[in-house]
Amino acid sequence: MSEFAMEIDNVDVGFGPPSQRVEVLDKINLKVKPNEFVAIIGFSGSGKSTLMNLLAGIQPASTGGVFMDGQLVTEPGPERGILFQNYSLLPWLSVYGNIELAVKTVFPEMTAPERKEYIQGYIDMVSLTGSEWKKPSELSGGMRQRLSLARTLSMKPGVLLLDEPLSALDALTRANLQDEIIRIWEEDRRTVIMITNDVDEAVLMADRIVALTPGPKATLGKSFDVELERPRDRTTLNFNREFIELRNTVTKYMVGINEEAKALRTGANLPLPDLMPIDFLSVGNQPRKVVLEDEEPSSESTVTQDKPELVGVGVGNE
Amino acid sequence: MLWRGLENEPSLFVFSFKSMSVMSKDDSKMDSVKYGLLKLIDVSGFKVFDPVVRLCFREEPGKQVGEIVRYMVIPIIFVAFCIGAWAVIAPRHKTKAGRVPDPSQVLSALSVNHTLHVRENEKEADFNALDSRREDRIASVEVTLKEKETEEVELKKKLAEVEVACQAEIDQRLAPLNARLEKLRTSHKEAADARKSEIVTLSEKVVAETAAEDELTALMASDVKLKDEAKEKEKRVKELIEDVKSNPPKNLKRTQLAYNGLAIEIAHLKKRLDYLGKSNRGEKVAVAKADLAKKEEKLKAADEPAGLLAAAKSVVRSEEKVDRIASQSYPRGTTIWFQVWRSLFTVFIGFIMAALVAIPFGIMCGLNRVVMACLTPIISIFKPVSPVVWLLIFQIVVGAFFPNPETHPFFVMMSNIPWVSSLKVNPAMVYSACTVAMCAVWPALVNTALGVSSIDQDHLNVAKVLKLGLWQRLVKIVIPSSLPLVFAGLRISLGVGWMVLIAAEALSGSEGLGKYVWDQYQNGGSMSFANIIFACFVVGIIGFFLDRMMIILQRSVSFDDGAAVV
Repeated sequence: MSEFAMEIDNVDVGFGPPSQRVEVLDKINLKVKPNEFVAIIGFSGSGKSTLMNLLAGIQPASTGGVFMDGQLVTEPGPERGILFQNYSLLPWLSVYGNIELAVKTVFPEMTAPERKEYIQGYIDMVSLTGSEWKKPSELSGGMRQRLSLARTLSMKPGVLLLDEPLSALDALTRANLQDEIIRIWEEDRRTVIMITNDVDEAVLMADRIVALTPGPKATLGKSFDVELERPRDRTTLNFNREFIELRNTVTKYMVGINEEAKALRTGANLPLPDLMPIDFLSVGNQPRKVVLEDEEPSSESTVTQDKPELVGVGVGNE
Repeated sequence: MLWRGLENEPSLFVFSFKSMSVMSKDDSKMDSVKYGLLKLIDVSGFKVFDPVVRLCFREEPGKQVGEIVRYMVIPIIFVAFCIGAWAVIAPRHKTKAGRVPDPSQVLSALSVNHTLHVRENEKEADFNALDSRREDRIASVEVTLKEKETEEVELKKKLAEVEVACQAEIDQRLAPLNARLEKLRTSHKEAADARKSEIVTLSEKVVAETAAEDELTALMASDVKLKDEAKEKEKRVKELIEDVKSNPPKNLKRTQLAYNGLAIEIAHLKKRLDYLGKSNRGEKVAVAKADLAKKEEKLKAADEPAGLLAAAKSVVRSEEKVDRIASQSYPRGTTIWFQVWRSLFTVFIGFIMAALVAIPFGIMCGLNRVVMACLTPIISIFKPVSPVVWLLIFQIVVGAFFPNPETHPFFVMMSNIPWVSSLKVNPAMVYSACTVAMCAVWPALVNTALGVSSIDQDHLNVAKVLKLGLWQRLVKIVIPSSLPLVFAGLRISLGVGWMVLIAAEALSGSEGLGKYVWDQYQNGGSMSFANIIFACFVVGIIGFFLDRMMIILQRSVSFDDGAAVV
């Protein structure tokens, strides 16, 4: 038995044939202790979802490996419950049916009344009582994600993987669900790895924040421990010095690595010729107008003069 | 006074409160009825009636009236305009089968066909009626027959009167035409005689060699040409005369039709009496039984061995006869509604066959790209093949399975299933159903494959995380998620099947709407053309309802609203 609940060991992930291979993740190393809440924070397009699929076992590693309790992860399974960004609910099943499908497959030995009670418990836990027989299309975004959470938790996963679970929600619903997830987690502690792009969210919820550098070749950067006391209250937290400092540090770091990446990226760019847009008003239209209004012949000569210049502006760089 | 006032107030308040609560309860009830109706309309795809329902519940009347005018009244006016155009244009077009029937003729085709059906039903009931029911029926038929016969006498008188009255009118209309024809004939005759004598004199000249031979031939040629022209002119006048004769005055025509209808009805009543009397099954059985009794007596009376043997033989034969008569059923003539039922049955059998093949294969195609690659050439080549070709192939291939259809176990089984036996399943029906299946299989197959192969990756991820096995994955994820597209395909299939069926029935001679149209085309009666157009409407209306049915099914399985386009 390993002392870590989840371990990523020197993993590279790339796509495409060798000739035009895109390295998405590069030398990722992460060790997560049991019952630890880790937030991985990164910019969009930095390979966050690939990392999550890697942890879930949906995406295999090109090199290296992902271990759960010392065991190599080779395929997805209910022991690593994943909460997808777009809910992944089955639209033809009701709230109850969606959870039932998961419970039935993970705990086939459960008797029917037991299962009913068990499912109802999870529905109550995420405050969806009364909506048991509604279809996902009849639920709001927040309710859908809650249902997704209930389904994931009902599988009793050893590790909970949250893939930007709240990024599709509006700010108020988002805050609400953050509290809910924290409440549930505090009631029933387990290992959580959350991916997010929101520094506040990470600081509020996590024990540790790990930065993911912008891709391609994204890798894990600095790690920040969050030592704020729990339960954390979002209303008072805004005045907490520690919170503010940590938030600023993380933000500054993230901005820094982004600029670094940008600098690296622009270095690889080809210099483009400095093009100026043609001022059609002064070059094209005016002389013609002059012709129409039938003025002096001298202005007509400017038309012929301007024409070669027009071509010159289009091609040259001055 | 003050007390009284105070006393009264609370009761007033209670009363008004009560009435309010009652009203709100009623309102919510009305609302639930209203929204139920609206949902029903929405699901069945009759969105046009939405404003009507809303108007009935007094919701924004102005807006609803506007919608009704725009989407109901204007379309109705347009359709009425089309029917009017039909009524005006159709009779102007003369064909080999008479004038193109107008809407009223097609409508009368409906009533004629329906009456035919009703009369067959009556005769069948008469054939099967027994004892007191039979007697009751005889009494009632005799009463109506008497009524009708007196009516007939009156109508005959009236017809004679009308004929006399109309004859004058017809004569009046014919007289100038006849005179014109006579005039034409005499003038033509005179001209022809003149030409003839001219030819004679010219030929004499030719003999005497005072004129050339080609002059004579030229004259002959012009004579032939003029004769033809004269004939053509006479023909035109004759046509006009025929037209007057074949189109009697409306009054006469109506009386004639009424008289003919009455005569047919009387004949029908007489036929009914026959079925209630001599040709009744019970009667026939009784006669056969009496015969049997006589034979049995003879058997008892017989004493010598040879006579005994012969008597026994005839008893056995009589017994067989009794059994045969007792199991006889009325030999129904085919009527339009029977054809409709048979067509519907055939199309459903074909459709179910198509679905049973298309759905499993479609799922396999969608799941496995190798299967898809294997089936793609087959689908692409056979999809465009005409139903007519399939029908001929099935007649040969499937026909080989039952060289003697009467004794084949399949048809024997079909004739023993209660409702199905009345539809008379025969090989032609099997071929038609197979043709329907063959043509309807493709849209369902292609759509199922598309539905399965385009499953949301998220749903597959759920299956992966739950580690569902192949079967579970199929039943819990793949099939439910592809159902809307599967049903969209089935809807197209049923539409194609219905269209193909009519052609297949016409060609294979399987009783049904297709054969009805074909028979009408072949027999060329006075009503045939109207019947064909009537059948065209029947086919169209049934096709419309089949499609609506599939829309409802499709709507009920689709989880994302609006998957079904109306």
